[in-house]
Amino acid sequence: MIVAEWTKQWRRTRTWIVVAAAALFPVVVTAALVASGSGQVDRVGDIPLVVVPKRSGISVPFIALSSTMRFFLPLAVAIVAGECISAEARTGRLRYALANPISRTRYLLSRAAVAGSISIVLVLVLVVAAVIAGLVAFGWHPFTAVNGDQTAVESVTTLSVWSSLAKLGIGTAYIIAGMASIFTFALLLSTLTTRPFVAVAGGAALSVASRVFNADYLPGVNLFSHYMPNNDIDLWQHLFAHPVDTSGMARFLVLQAVYAAVFSVTAWWTFTRRDVLT
Amino acid sequence: MGLDPRGTPQEVPVVSVGSLTKVLPGQVVALNRVDLTVMAGQAMGLAGPNGAGKSTLLRILLGLVRPTSGSARLFGEPVRPGAKVLGRIGCLVDGPGFVPYLTGRDNLRLAVRSSGRTVSSAEFEVALEASGLDAALDRPYRSYSHGMRYRLGLAQAMIGRPELLILDEPTTGLDPVHASEVTSRIKAATAAGTTVLLCSHELAFIDQVCSEVVVLHEGRVVLAGGVAEMVESAGSLAEAYVRAVTGSGRGTGLHEIGAEQVNP
Repeated sequence: MIVAEWTKQWRRTRTWIVVAAAALFPVVVTAALVASGSGQVDRVGDIPLVVVPKRSGISVPFIALSSTMRFFLPLAVAIVAGECISAEARTGRLRYALANPISRTRYLLSRAAVAGSISIVLVLVLVVAAVIAGLVAFGWHPFTAVNGDQTAVESVTTLSVWSSLAKLGIGTAYIIAGMASIFTFALLLSTLTTRPFVAVAGGAALSVASRVFNADYLPGVNLFSHYMPNNDIDLWQHLFAHPVDTSGMARFLVLQAVYAAVFSVTAWWTFTRRDVLT
Repeated sequence: MGLDPRGTPQEVPVVSVGSLTKVLPGQVVALNRVDLTVMAGQAMGLAGPNGAGKSTLLRILLGLVRPTSGSARLFGEPVRPGAKVLGRIGCLVDGPGFVPYLTGRDNLRLAVRSSGRTVSSAEFEVALEASGLDAALDRPYRSYSHGMRYRLGLAQAMIGRPELLILDEPTTGLDPVHASEVTSRIKAATAAGTTVLLCSHELAFIDQVCSEVVVLHEGRVVLAGGVAEMVESAGSLAEAYVRAVTGSGRGTGLHEIGAEQVNP
């Protein structure tokens, strides 16, 4: 059943458009970097470090992840998860799928597995496309960043390509795990509505809300901003701090697990008990 | 059920519904202590005005809707979401439901693979053949006309020759040619021994296809019996229907009479 649904998704034009967008984004970023001629582009998160993209292609995936983790990736994940059940209800396939000797739990799990694996593929496509585009444009050189803190003594950080790739791997895994709250929330909405738009918009709204309730924009909300589902998605950038600080990352991953557990158990609870009237 | 005192097998009803009640959100009583029995080989039609509870009843039998109280059994087994017994049923409920961007053939294949049933490739081919869609089977579903969609939906319902067909408005919105085609398919299935439980607004359709009829009104059974007897006593099915629906004040006792007539 999972294989059949997986194959079905890849025969859909929409899936390929989202994947193509994920692959195209880093190419556009790279082209812009080449065209702008600027050496220093991206400030890395909350640590005062500025990436020098033109020194090495390996900086491109970090820039691509930084610029997509707050909106594009949550949106893509919300689209995939938000359509998971609601689109089936809308086309009428849901009632036929459930009028069968398969448990609703199994049905929900297999659909979530397909949507989840497509979400992971999207992030991986973005990262791999960025690595390729970066290497083609700027070459296979050590990653370079300068300390952007004006008050401190200027220092230059360099990382070998292999060390950078290791950090990229960890950062990518962190971002994938960090999408769990958005994914499960959109999935929950997807079990409640027959309008995919509602579930997609709800998932996207959750990531936007996380961003709005951020101390950067609204002073005084820092009491709970670190408990918002998507607020600390940028903490993988602490991998570049000296010394590397992973306490914030660990905290965020625990938070994701809690959100994901609450949303997915609620989704399961309502889906296995509700009346299918569509 | 199972054995009578002398040890010979008793016939288990294909569908048996007892005192079934469903209260929808907002305190709407969709079904009010409905009793219904369908024996093997019967073709039963449910009729009744909009909102009478026909669709709710069929959805409870498919494990899609949970009853508030009462029992619903198929082949003697209680119906629950995902119950094994659902594998012996084919259905067409409230119009077909398929993936627009897949072909008819791939849609049917996907439906079988996701169904938790085992269907041999020979049975699958029989269902494709019976759909009468021929070359159109390899065109995307979104290009299908309304009638073609219903043909595909009926083909899906009949894959693997289920013992019971549950059909909710199988001819709604079809032109007379397609409607008569659907009618003849269902008649062929009943002739081959398939039990049918369907609901329809079209009494002429029920008259053609069904041996038994039950009329629901405001969640209650107001008339039940053999189609032939009803035509004989009231002159026509439509006349019997109108009398039952308009004359069914609460407590008329028709509910009890109906239950007696249904149970052989």
